[in-house]
Amino acid sequence: MHLAHLRLRDFRNYARLDADFSPGFHLLLGDNAQGKTNILEAIYLIATLRSFRGVGGAQMIRRGQSAYFVGGVVVGRGEHEVKLYWSARERKLSLDGRPVRKLTDYLGVARAVVFCTEDLQLVKGPARSRRRFLDLLLSQTVPAYLALRQRYALALRSRNSLLKQPAPDAVALDGFSRELVSAGESLIRLRAELVRKFSPLATLACQRISNQDEELRLEYRPSVREDFGVELAQSRAQERLYRTTVVGPHRDELQLLLNDCPAAQFGSEGQKRTVAIGLKLGQAEYLTGFHGAPPVLLIDDIMGELDAKRRAGFLPLLELARQSRGQVFMTATEENWPRELGGNLQRWGVREGTLQSQA
Amino acid sequence: MASLPDSITALIGSLGKLPGIGPRSAERIALYLAQAETGAVKQLAQGILDARDRVRLCEICGALTEASPCALCSDPRRDAGQVCVVERPVDVLSIEKPGTFIGRYHVLGGKLSPLNAIEPGDLRIAELEQRLQREPILELVLALGADVEGDATSFYLAKRLSRPGLKITRIAHGLPAGSGLEFADELTLSRALEGRREFL
Repeated sequence: MHLAHLRLRDFRNYARLDADFSPGFHLLLGDNAQGKTNILEAIYLIATLRSFRGVGGAQMIRRGQSAYFVGGVVVGRGEHEVKLYWSARERKLSLDGRPVRKLTDYLGVARAVVFCTEDLQLVKGPARSRRRFLDLLLSQTVPAYLALRQRYALALRSRNSLLKQPAPDAVALDGFSRELVSAGESLIRLRAELVRKFSPLATLACQRISNQDEELRLEYRPSVREDFGVELAQSRAQERLYRTTVVGPHRDELQLLLNDCPAAQFGSEGQKRTVAIGLKLGQAEYLTGFHGAPPVLLIDDIMGELDAKRRAGFLPLLELARQSRGQVFMTATEENWPRELGGNLQRWGVREGTLQSQA
Repeated sequence: MASLPDSITALIGSLGKLPGIGPRSAERIALYLAQAETGAVKQLAQGILDARDRVRLCEICGALTEASPCALCSDPRRDAGQVCVVERPVDVLSIEKPGTFIGRYHVLGGKLSPLNAIEPGDLRIAELEQRLQREPILELVLALGADVEGDATSFYLAKRLSRPGLKITRIAHGLPAGSGLEFADELTLSRALEGRREFL
């Protein structure tokens, strides 16, 4: 899978950009604050409809403008044209010239995995960031997942809203509990299945890039121990106190263990970074194995911060991307780009919101 | 800058509040009406007034009607033993289209939605309870949508209305007739599998 064309209008610091990309390795070189990461952000947006910087649409509009446009041509199984328009009043998403009605029809057209400094949140951040990681990976591999997740979220919000009332109707509450349990049980089953398959990949990736003998292990710790329905009923007293639903997949944790100790508590800064990169490498490999083709890899300025051993851990994945005609975009400043990647790459100069091919 | 006459601006404002009409369409319709033949415009205005005056909810089932009770409720050929429960008045039309349901209807006027502050008291459930006492109803067919709120409301109704001698059923959800498996989304398929029935 690769992005053959990218078109930006009033996106971040790009007034207009039209660029063609071949499969293979693209190195985006430039000083700080010139717009290197914005290119990666736009590509990630095409794949996931989200920014990996965790911001909303308004922040991606070029200063002084009122809307942005991001378009692209994605070549995978067939060729698809994507157009995304965002303004405060209107959002438009079209695929091959037709408006997209259901997100599930769209997601999967492009797949991307990003490596960036924010990844550290996977280790250091709250459980929510790890649940989001699982959710993203599941929505990239299980088509029904997104719809289930939305069903669960609606049941949860409805139920919480009932619990806020002074005297909630018990039968109505039961009605929404049933929906919560039925969607929730599927979520738990799919998450457990994913972690079982994904964990060995993350372990291996981590070993490849770590300096010491560290073993990363992923443990799925669902908030529900055995029977969601029973435990939900048992939590009624607590629910009455907190006026919110206290058990369920929205409270799940994905425990990251380094040599059997929680990485967030006991890992050094370097180890935490290793774990974060290991998770992302694992994600890219899992998607590659699942779909038979690697996702577009977006590597944001992290190579410079890594030592030689950790950089070397990336090489097999990059090699795989090259062999299977995948695509890699990597940002770096002129001084710190990893020269061991060799000459087999397309260099681009990024300067003040323009992109120039450097032969 | 030249601007539109006030009366047209006001008309655009009113039209823009109608469902499915955006600012552009509102402007086009308003400009058209302001220049159309007077007779046609009067007819349209009268049509709107007449419809608003005459149409009301049926006192029994809650469907849209000009005469209450409505034609469906007063038709002696309809099976009084079966009542189909739907969310909105237009749903009656959907169920009527295939012509296979021969019972009567009850329109709830919505579904339970805590996020929109719609509670059991806001729906026509008490009216349905009265009908259960008054009419010889043997079966309630719950034909609400298969979304979270529709399913939760169905459960609520089944619990609250359950009584001896009354059968409560839920319409099946599954594959659209005449289509192949490849067009069904996964949630629909998994529900269709859960609700499978013995074949011969």
